[in-house]
Amino acid sequence: MNPETLRQIRGAKDLLEEAIEALAVSVGDAHRKMARQPYALLARIEPIAAPVRAIEEAHLRITDGVYFSIRLGNRLVGVVAGFALDRIEGVARPK
Amino acid sequence: MSDAANKPAAAPGLGATLASIVNGCFGDYLSQRDNGLAIDMAFYRHNRPLSLTPEALRAAFPAPTARLCVLLHGLCCHEGAWDYPDNPARSYGSALQADLGFTPLFLRYNTGLPIPYNGKALDTLLEQLLAAYPLPVEELVLLGHSMGGLVLRGACHFGAERGAAWVGKVSRVFYIGTPHEGAALEQVGHLVNSILHAVPNPITHLLGDVANQRSQGIKDLRHGTVLDGAAGVAAVPWLAGAQHYMIAGTVTDDPEHLAAKLFGDGLVQPPQAGENVCLFPGIDHMQLAHDDAVYEQIKTWCAST
Repeated sequence: MNPETLRQIRGAKDLLEEAIEALAVSVGDAHRKMARQPYALLARIEPIAAPVRAIEEAHLRITDGVYFSIRLGNRLVGVVAGFALDRIEGVARPK
Repeated sequence: MSDAANKPAAAPGLGATLASIVNGCFGDYLSQRDNGLAIDMAFYRHNRPLSLTPEALRAAFPAPTARLCVLLHGLCCHEGAWDYPDNPARSYGSALQADLGFTPLFLRYNTGLPIPYNGKALDTLLEQLLAAYPLPVEELVLLGHSMGGLVLRGACHFGAERGAAWVGKVSRVFYIGTPHEGAALEQVGHLVNSILHAVPNPITHLLGDVANQRSQGIKDLRHGTVLDGAAGVAAVPWLAGAQHYMIAGTVTDDPEHLAAKLFGDGLVQPPQAGENVCLFPGIDHMQLAHDDAVYEQIKTWCAST
């Protein structure tokens, strides 16, 4: 594989990784904002306000956990792909 | 000389096409991040960048001529945009070489970068080209398709401003489907983006944020920006001493049809009728870069005194 192709593959890998990271953060933020809306309404009803806040907290923790997992998985895949590209580059480099 | 003999044997493939599309959409980001997909501006031949040294140019052009034509593609494209789909060995460049003895040079550049940035880079590159070219250049003809026309206009402006030698060699500039007054599609895109941000909803904000990631090159098409800062295209005078020609198309055979009035060539509205303006009804935006009727008009203009 020629160096130019490898450089492009590495560039595509980096771009995909950065796009997934940015999208996961943005979608996570939007998800959080949307999830809070019904809880904000329900929390106005005094008798159920406390349990609503507790459920909301649990919901948001789960949501954040899901997006964190996506970002972590993305990072890991990126590191492994980068490592694989380093190896290919090492093999392809003329001695 | 036959067309096949002049054209690169290795035409840009799928990888180059995808890279050009990504550059058009996010090229400024790629350049900023020093991403391997970012395209560096260069003249391309045989799908490879041409080194601007006398030796490399002599090897690339064994029979150089003193008349050069430089071809610039549009947004998200590469030099393959000039190839005729039914005959990839033929392009306006190869045809001008066969018919009028021009040596064609095809530029490839990162279309996502700001248009003024690409204009300045082209100004520098043309200076290097003329310094390294094996013969003294007598005539320089510039052809720009779509965004390429704006980049040309910028390069001429920056070159003229600093008194670059290459500017004096420019005899004709062809703007093919160039949005001098701005591209309607980007104007609509900007409007939709503003609406998405104005609606108080996290999903529309998210969609607006995603749409706003489009490159500065695309955003510059909204007003046809050629200069840095707030100055628009209107502030850029046409290069004195050169003839300027505008070529436009329409999506319908009847240029008075409502669809032609609304959508122009599909992406760009035709300019107002004038002396050096030629309208090709029924030829859409991309086809303008490789059409026999358009070429005949270019050849006629090039052959005129």
